[in-house]
Amino acid sequence: MGLLTDPTNDENTKKTFIVKYHSKICILMVFCSVTWLCFLAHDNFSAGTYFSENALLPGLVQGDYSEESEAQALYAEIQDEAQKYPYSIPDEWIRDKFQELYLEAYIQNFTLNNPLKEKLKFVGSNVYGILRAPRSASLEALVLSVPYRSPSSVYPSTLPGLALMFSLAKFFRRQKYWAKDIIFLVTEHEQLGVQAWLDAYHGTMSGMKGVLEYGLLEEHSGSIQAALNLEVHSPRISHIDVKLAGLNGQVPNLDLVNLVHRICSKEGVLNTFFNKDSKRGARFSTWNHKLRTMLEMIGSQATGVPDGNHGLFHRFGIEAVTIEGHSKVGRGGHTFYHMGRVLEGLFRSLNNLLERFHQSYFFYLLPSTDRYISIGYYMPSLALAVSALYLKSFATWLKLHMNDDGKKIKKKSLKAPKNLNIMIVSAIMLSTHAVGAFIMPAGNYLVKKLPWSSEVSLLYSYIAISVISALVLAVVMSKYTRKGNWILLNVVCLNEFATFLLCVSMHNFSFGFVATLIYVLPSLWISAANNRWYKKIVWLFFHPLAVIYFLTLGFTVYTFDELTIKEILLKSIEAMQHLIALNVTDAMVYGNWTFVVINVVILSTWLSFWSLMFASSEERDVGVEKEKAE
Amino acid sequence: MAMNDIGMSLLVLLFSSMLSAHSTIASHRSQTDHFHEEVIFKSVADAKVYSYFQFTTLWNNSFETDRFDHCRLFPRSLAEIIHTFDVQELHISLTEGHWRHRYWGYPIIEASPGAEIWVWFGKNNKGKDDIDRRWKGLTSTLSGLLCTSFNFINSANSVRPKFSFRPLGVDSSAEEGSEGNDDNERVRYAVLPREIVCTENLTPWKKMLPCDSTKGLASLLNARFIHNTNYHSIGAHYRQMCLDAECTDTKIEFKQTVSLVYDLVLLGGRADEWSIRKLFGTGLFSYCPLATTSNIYVDVSDNNIELNKQPDSTHTAQIGGNHIKYAIYDVHRHASSTAGFNLVAKIRSTSSSMSPMRHSSPLLHVNRYIREYGKENGGIVVKIYNNHRKPLVVTYFENIPWFVPIYYHTLKIRRIDNGEEIKPLAKRYAPGSTRTRPYYLEVVLRVPGRSVVELSVDFDYTFLKWQEYPPDANHGFYVGSAVVSAALPYARNYRSLPASVSLLQDIFNATWPSNSFVVQMRTESFILGLPTPDFSMPYNVICLACTVVALAFGPLHNITTKRLRLASHSAKGKWKAFVVSKIAKIFGRSAPNDAASCSDSVPDSSVNTEATKL
Repeated sequence: MGLLTDPTNDENTKKTFIVKYHSKICILMVFCSVTWLCFLAHDNFSAGTYFSENALLPGLVQGDYSEESEAQALYAEIQDEAQKYPYSIPDEWIRDKFQELYLEAYIQNFTLNNPLKEKLKFVGSNVYGILRAPRSASLEALVLSVPYRSPSSVYPSTLPGLALMFSLAKFFRRQKYWAKDIIFLVTEHEQLGVQAWLDAYHGTMSGMKGVLEYGLLEEHSGSIQAALNLEVHSPRISHIDVKLAGLNGQVPNLDLVNLVHRICSKEGVLNTFFNKDSKRGARFSTWNHKLRTMLEMIGSQATGVPDGNHGLFHRFGIEAVTIEGHSKVGRGGHTFYHMGRVLEGLFRSLNNLLERFHQSYFFYLLPSTDRYISIGYYMPSLALAVSALYLKSFATWLKLHMNDDGKKIKKKSLKAPKNLNIMIVSAIMLSTHAVGAFIMPAGNYLVKKLPWSSEVSLLYSYIAISVISALVLAVVMSKYTRKGNWILLNVVCLNEFATFLLCVSMHNFSFGFVATLIYVLPSLWISAANNRWYKKIVWLFFHPLAVIYFLTLGFTVYTFDELTIKEILLKSIEAMQHLIALNVTDAMVYGNWTFVVINVVILSTWLSFWSLMFASSEERDVGVEKEKAE
Repeated sequence: MAMNDIGMSLLVLLFSSMLSAHSTIASHRSQTDHFHEEVIFKSVADAKVYSYFQFTTLWNNSFETDRFDHCRLFPRSLAEIIHTFDVQELHISLTEGHWRHRYWGYPIIEASPGAEIWVWFGKNNKGKDDIDRRWKGLTSTLSGLLCTSFNFINSANSVRPKFSFRPLGVDSSAEEGSEGNDDNERVRYAVLPREIVCTENLTPWKKMLPCDSTKGLASLLNARFIHNTNYHSIGAHYRQMCLDAECTDTKIEFKQTVSLVYDLVLLGGRADEWSIRKLFGTGLFSYCPLATTSNIYVDVSDNNIELNKQPDSTHTAQIGGNHIKYAIYDVHRHASSTAGFNLVAKIRSTSSSMSPMRHSSPLLHVNRYIREYGKENGGIVVKIYNNHRKPLVVTYFENIPWFVPIYYHTLKIRRIDNGEEIKPLAKRYAPGSTRTRPYYLEVVLRVPGRSVVELSVDFDYTFLKWQEYPPDANHGFYVGSAVVSAALPYARNYRSLPASVSLLQDIFNATWPSNSFVVQMRTESFILGLPTPDFSMPYNVICLACTVVALAFGPLHNITTKRLRLASHSAKGKWKAFVVSKIAKIFGRSAPNDAASCSDSVPDSSVNTEATKL
């Protein structure tokens, strides 16, 4: 073992080394980061799932549910009833149905005031029935929710799920062993209904004030421990897909996910994750299969949009997943009997819980249904890529203190960088962040003033604000600032960006990682001085709006490959309008952070780098040397 | 052997006849105590059956507590406690489940989930400290008597409500009026919401009954059945009452009650039919010979109940314009049969289209829940529903544990439909103090007719000391129910007895004080997830600390046990020394020391050090 301090430590050689080779090291780091992440999908780098919470006792009891014919009859009845209301939910009918089963049942109404258009309202209603546990004073509760989709809905039907829920409600009501209330919740308008119900239940307003007005709940139950959202598309299903991704990339406790998979396997129901089942073996194809599953999870998590109604429960500390039953074409498949058994097993396990879910992981990636990657394994890969930014900023700062020959500047001239332009740098950072912070309120203001439809005017106002801010900054920086030293600006930009990326990835790893992958290399490429014109043009392509557009374009090409180029371009612009309007609405109704983070963090940083590129430099040689290093 | 047996039985016969003779003499002498056993059955909405047992001991004993020395029907164990601690009124209830007023109407006796106790102490006291001491003593003794956790009651969870809990019986100090504003000095209220009520509480409770559970209605109270209900509550209530209308003398009333709500769907079989055998697993074989009355009442007000036996009589009570019709069975007449008395009731559905959950909402009901988002700040919200057309004056009493610090300034009372602020008529608040005193809040307000009023107060989430977390810290912390009291103008869904009446049989000719029907609803209790540290952390910390120590130990050991020595750094010397040391190694000898020996100060840059073992 060596000494704690090494007297031979020669700072200068290390510094020179860093300054000389940092670009290569940076690129190596980014490469390693991606490789690391890809390796994680392999069985040797991930771990098998296990139960941390022993109280769940999964699958210890023999299921009793056998209401297949009952559920079939209910399904026929519900289909008839649904035909009578092509556009809305038959709320009173559902409530009466619950009451016939000896359950308390209530209706909740809600109104959405369209945040982008004044005086445009949507109304809807949720129905919920409460099964009061015989042995408790309604202190804890479990939720089984079904999104109601009217016949006119574009999404696949969930009526079989509703039939299953009724038959389960009837079965559960006759059981003595419940220690927690069970709330059966039928929601309208997809996530809006769930959001309104949850906000009302917890007496809070998660989105912007006055956007989603929820009606009162007549009765409450206790604190909700877990929720299962049921989307069954057909009375005969091929497999059960478990969906996790919640709002802002939150995922439920791993124990709950494991529980669903375990009970499915026990009942012999094929269970999948992103419609991919688990494969075993050490072959390349297995690794590829798992890598794709993991990347799909990262992709879906990165959007920050929940892929089911379960996603809105997470922020209230309620663990929730969506169980989606995909319809089976042809013969075979699983019937209501199997699904009922699965849900019975789930609820009986959850009923055993003595404490809230707290034992297992809250941060993880899943490469398949039975393996997981903990935060301890995936975070280093991101940290590696982000450290490249820190390294570059360190090297840039070191360069300030060095002579051209790489020798350290003598002690007495340590404050050699005469003018770091601290005031101007602060002013630039302030203005770019102001643009980032105000672009959303400004867009929302403009959309109400502009004559076009809300989607079009939203896109136009964003483009306008972006173009104006970029132009103004470019002109101001190139014309009205003195020639000077802009190393400080570069260092601040790099440090800030890296820190932001790390912070964001602590909340939503996938978003952080995707943003890092897109932005690390180009921001490393920008130097403190003498950025040539082609760099500026390339950087222009990394404007957040442009990136969003390219992603949309890619998606459009992928989805509609039969269209001509012109049609695809038109289609992608249309999709882009949709996307922005959707993101803005999501931010205001649900409190989705993604678009806010894009504006406040990425757009601001982009603008800061942009102004750096237009700053006029005096030290030509530094730039040249930099170019060489690149 | 045979002779012996006969002798024994003779002896027993003689002894028992002596005993009975003695008891007749005693009863002739005093004739002042009576025991009554009564039970009511009522079908309520959503296929539930409410049954209420009431075992009442009335004793024409006056205030002078020294006469508790001789007890006949009154439980001696309790008498001693009441005497020792000078208790004027005592109300205990042990409850599992929550009474759902919306569906079940008002119960005859309210109780909050868990263990609840409230006491008025006698006027002979030497100030607050004396009462506190007696309160501590009383609760500790009662916890032994009833096998409950009353011994956990201390100053940190007991309060002195001003408006909500007035004496139900005679209060001698009220007449004197000497204590004025401090008259809540003598009252103590506490609730333990986490108390689990089970057989161990029922058995000592039964032992206080004159006939125990061997005879009479108490023989129905089979733990296996009564704990299988949706709501069960056992209670013990002691108070002093006026002996006559002029109230010249007082008597003692001791009531033991059991409230049960059965779910017919869970019991199996038909959901519209119940019987004594179905509810209690046994028929009624006997009556309590010590009881003056043993009656069974079945509420037949809705005329939709079909009974298998003709009742002995049917009485209708007029309560606040409400007719309550009871079919009455005298157990003395029915219970002697060897087969056991079994009463079967069928509920006729009035119309098939009606949902089983149909109910007439009570005039006033409440819904309490917590507003929580994250672990930052939360709020307690109570919604008070007034279904009456006129305003009602409601007293809201909240007893919040010290670990839920509420902010008094955030107390908001508003109508929900139009958001109008409501000014409370009176407010009383005593801020809690960490580990010593709970937060006490009492608000009197006027709830407008046909409206819902929301009362809310914000609280903070606090961190406790790590030893204060229970083993199941992530289960959450219990906050007991609040109490909402009001005097209703008429008696829809109302079944309680007026304060002047002790027995259910007296309800038919009872007079109610000017149409005011007092209800004291217990709201929902809730569990609160306080911010909980990760208790597996100490383990991780130990692992980490050990690793750090292990890592640091190596270098420290090296530094302290090895000598620093300068090596020559000239290129020439270097290879020479290297070769010499190699050769020396081959020959198993240590290298000869260089000219430059150990030095304390390390000279400037490019110094190589070499460490050799001492």
